[in-house]
Amino acid sequence: MKVVIKAALAAGLVLGASQAFAQEAVRIGALYPFSGGLALLGDESFRGLEIAVEERNAAGGLNGKKIDLIKGDAVDPNQAVGEARRLTSVDRVSVIFGTYSSSLALAATQVAQLAGIPYFELGAISDPITERGLKYVFRTNPTSKNFANRMVDSVAEAVAPALNVDPKSLKIGIIHEDSLYGQTVSSFQVARAKEKGLNVVETLPYSAKSVDLTPVILRLKSAGVDVVLQTSYQNDTVLFFRQMKDQGFKPKAVIGAGGGYSTRDTAQAVGNENIEGALNVDFPQYRTNPQAAPGIDEFVKKYQAKYGIPPRSGHSLTNYMGANVFLDAMASSKDLKAESIRETLLKVDIPEGKTPTGWGVKFDEKGQNTRVSPFLMQWQGGELVTVFPPEAAVTKMKAGVGTN
Amino acid sequence: MDVLVQLLLNGILLGSMYAIISVGLTLIFGIVRVVNFAHGEFLMVGMYATYLLGAHLGLNPYVSAVPVIVLLFVLGAMVQRFIIQPLLGADEHIQIFATVGLSTALINLALLVFGADLYSLTVPSARQAVSAGGYTMLVGQLVMLACAIALVGGLHFFMQTTALGRAIRATAQNRNAALLMGVKVDRVYVITFGLGAACVGLASALVIPLYPVTPTIGTYFVLTAFVVVVLGGMRSIYGAFVGAMIIGIVDSLSGYYIAPDLKEVVYFAIFILILIFKPTGLFGFGRGTE
Repeated sequence: MKVVIKAALAAGLVLGASQAFAQEAVRIGALYPFSGGLALLGDESFRGLEIAVEERNAAGGLNGKKIDLIKGDAVDPNQAVGEARRLTSVDRVSVIFGTYSSSLALAATQVAQLAGIPYFELGAISDPITERGLKYVFRTNPTSKNFANRMVDSVAEAVAPALNVDPKSLKIGIIHEDSLYGQTVSSFQVARAKEKGLNVVETLPYSAKSVDLTPVILRLKSAGVDVVLQTSYQNDTVLFFRQMKDQGFKPKAVIGAGGGYSTRDTAQAVGNENIEGALNVDFPQYRTNPQAAPGIDEFVKKYQAKYGIPPRSGHSLTNYMGANVFLDAMASSKDLKAESIRETLLKVDIPEGKTPTGWGVKFDEKGQNTRVSPFLMQWQGGELVTVFPPEAAVTKMKAGVGTN
Repeated sequence: MDVLVQLLLNGILLGSMYAIISVGLTLIFGIVRVVNFAHGEFLMVGMYATYLLGAHLGLNPYVSAVPVIVLLFVLGAMVQRFIIQPLLGADEHIQIFATVGLSTALINLALLVFGADLYSLTVPSARQAVSAGGYTMLVGQLVMLACAIALVGGLHFFMQTTALGRAIRATAQNRNAALLMGVKVDRVYVITFGLGAACVGLASALVIPLYPVTPTIGTYFVLTAFVVVVLGGMRSIYGAFVGAMIIGIVDSLSGYYIAPDLKEVVYFAIFILILIFKPTGLFGFGRGTE
């Protein structure tokens, strides 16, 4: 019994000491999926934040105070809520950074709002995250609407010129998986195409768990579709490319909305020769012109030095960029109260082409960054290279898809 | 007209894939009477096994089929012996929970070992397209159709002519009577479950040239397999085959003529209609056997 009391006392002392030290430091939460199915890209996202924080600590911290990163593991929305509660009430963090996945962000932001803690979203794209009137939620990255607009605009601004035809003469087919992700992006696409007077001949939703997409492909083929816009995950992307080849469907261009189009696994499963020429709209990848994205090469070097491998995806870069914007704002804010941080953030004004992702920063009243737009990339020789807009491009866009 | 023929062909080929998977489930769900929610995960395990054999030993999946079938037989037999059998006396729901648990455990084990990425085995011979009169099919799909027909024929022969087959049928008809006739019911269950899983082993070797494997690939197929088994009349292997063809063709046609995201609605509607008019399924053995 005595031993237990002694141990408890000792623990209490240590705890007291660490709390005393903690007051010297700024505590910030990092809420990402670190385990479970989303862990790979969740962890990749976190690395961007980690590098940004370490850089700042090495340079003397936040106005002389060390930054303590406290991790929260959000495997699913339930756990995101639980971990956000822990971070705000037990660890008493000043702000939370997150989250990679939209469903996790939607859940966690509400907890942070109730606790009056700012929530900085660096990677989730669902529009409603910043459209629910949550005052202290800010987001640096583009939303699904930005993705959809870039895809549709690319038809007119990149594909049609490359094919040397009038954009209005191209028949567009929109296909998408039928969960919230695909539904959201495709409805924005339809609206944008109407606005731009483009000719959408088919809009076909399908289940991402579909084991046969030939009906979809035959519909596109019968309608004589020239350009396919697909919003998809990995499996359905692979299936679409394989069966498109099997059925001899040869559109003039295929544009993906990130997701399944961005991973090397997809390219390998489909075969480099078949995915050659496929276009993709996504966060900046590393084959981007450094003139338009200053700091991108330095980031890759730092990443390589810290983790011993090149970045596994563009997620770390976008998180790094966003983390710096928010850390800068925290440094110049008069204190770390939510209201002061919000005031500072609304004054941030960075023109496009001045950050490592090439994005500018200007938050609207809702907390969404308005100077963002994903880039158009293309699979060329087994690599995803940026081809549009011209200032960010590393090479010219090619016409055609696959070897056929 | 051209499109219609191509859609019918696709439907038949798709149906043959459902058939191979569903025949295995017919044995487990129709005969052993276990609602095996882990059936799809057996497929996933088989596909990873085929992938590993192909990627590391360079085996063609059609060759790996043999060891994978054996592996899945053992897996199935062990699941029956060590998970289901201790629960045979318990409430049916307990067995359902057990197989749901097994399914979750296997998916997460795969996530742990392989991660969420997809693995794909390149088998150019199986992905070769065959054109006939302007219609295209893949060699892999034709192999699948041939195997489905051979499997259904072979299993039927086995059930009708061998002593073990008769014991399995007897157990399916009446467990207690079979027990009284000297059939070692527990052993029959273990073997039948193993056979059901072995069919999935064959399916996984045939499916992998066409679909990449991920931890959740099983969930893509399992619901359809249950529909096929019930549609076919639970215990009938022929029934499962016909049911699979119906679902395959409906899937293909409704995806084109109605809408790709509504094809489940169409085949579930047909499923409900058939059950209204023939509650024991297409090849059911009459009332009370379902």
